[in-house]
Amino acid sequence: MDDPIRTREFLDRLEQGDKIEATDWMPSEYRDLLIKQIHMHGISEIMGAYPEKEWVPKAPTIRRKLALNAKVQDEIGHGQMLLRLAEDLSRPYGRGREALMDDVIAGRVKFHNVFHMSAPTWADAGVIGFLVDGGAIITQAMLLDSSYAPYARMLKRIVAEESFHMQHGESVVLALAEGTDAQRNMLQEAINRWWEPMMFFFGPREMGRGSQRMMEYKIRTLTNEDLRQKFINRYVPRVRALGMSIPDPKLKQDPATGLWEYTDPDWDWFNKMVRDNSGPMSQARIALRRYAHEEQRWVREAVNHATQALAELPGA
Amino acid sequence: MSQGEYPVYEVFGQKDRLAFHTHVGSIRAANPEMALQMAREAFFRRETVVDIWVVPQDAIYSAAQEPAYLPQIGEDKKYRLPSGYDNAPHWKRFKARAMSIEEVAEEMTGKRG
Repeated sequence: MDDPIRTREFLDRLEQGDKIEATDWMPSEYRDLLIKQIHMHGISEIMGAYPEKEWVPKAPTIRRKLALNAKVQDEIGHGQMLLRLAEDLSRPYGRGREALMDDVIAGRVKFHNVFHMSAPTWADAGVIGFLVDGGAIITQAMLLDSSYAPYARMLKRIVAEESFHMQHGESVVLALAEGTDAQRNMLQEAINRWWEPMMFFFGPREMGRGSQRMMEYKIRTLTNEDLRQKFINRYVPRVRALGMSIPDPKLKQDPATGLWEYTDPDWDWFNKMVRDNSGPMSQARIALRRYAHEEQRWVREAVNHATQALAELPGA
Repeated sequence: MSQGEYPVYEVFGQKDRLAFHTHVGSIRAANPEMALQMAREAFFRRETVVDIWVVPQDAIYSAAQEPAYLPQIGEDKKYRLPSGYDNAPHWKRFKARAMSIEEVAEEMTGKRG
């Protein structure tokens, strides 16, 4: 149990808008919530690279291949930076990067629902950049104000790089929207596939206990529903401007409150998918991660051995 | 190093809680505690900082001495930058306007970037 006096002082710091560093004292609940959040965020960045990497060899032009490849590099880089933060926080538990990565393979950490889905056409690659990155940017922009300073600082870098992802996704979508009937149909079908997953992306209307505590600790500043409303508000007019429709007959904005009514995603189905890794692509992508992490472990170990052996050479 | 000569520490200052530590120069000091005091007196007499780092100079590996480790410059990397995508005229054709990440950040945090 945490010292109640130190906890009180900690909460006073948060109340004054002070930011917390990795080396500061913090209540164990604050630490655990951060680990859970940043671990899942980092792993989602890494798992998010898979649906996009599938499209690198199949992208229509060399410029699109370069851009998509650059994006994949960015996502993996974001994952690396975020896992470093999760590692620093996990120090009292003696868990480092290897353990945090083992958790994906053993199904002990969830990743975003959207990365369990398949991306069957080039339009899906574009819509992932347009809507999925668009949604992720809304969430990440909120976190720029997080009470945990290392997270907020890292988000500054990440959001700056996401700026290219956003323009790139819109560029692909615009090219398809300006294209032939076949291209426009392909775009519409991709939007139809991704809209419902995006409604799930921001989480349940009634937030769970953990998310509520994260608000109280100022780790995050807006509710799931706030984020979803901001997403709908930004993207519905953009999708419609392209002459595309949103696959939700209930979608309607209340002129007085500005709030959007929408059809609930299939909460049970998506929840089960992220919990059990039972989505269309969950197992295939985890298998790729397992290959990268477990089958290549000997390389990481060999580099350690080599470095040690060089240091032990006479005259080193 | 002659007797009585102190080791060199590189000095980094952090302007506010959400800023990155920035290199400001170096000082000589007998030990890390003295280095922090020296750094405070040498570099932060006027501006406020919320943190100071001192790092023994020989703990730093610099890529400048081995250019192979530097990022390649000169080739076209516009495809990696938001400015490499001129979406505004395309959105205009659809009677919509281009969106920037700065405006999203501003909406979400209530602050101007």
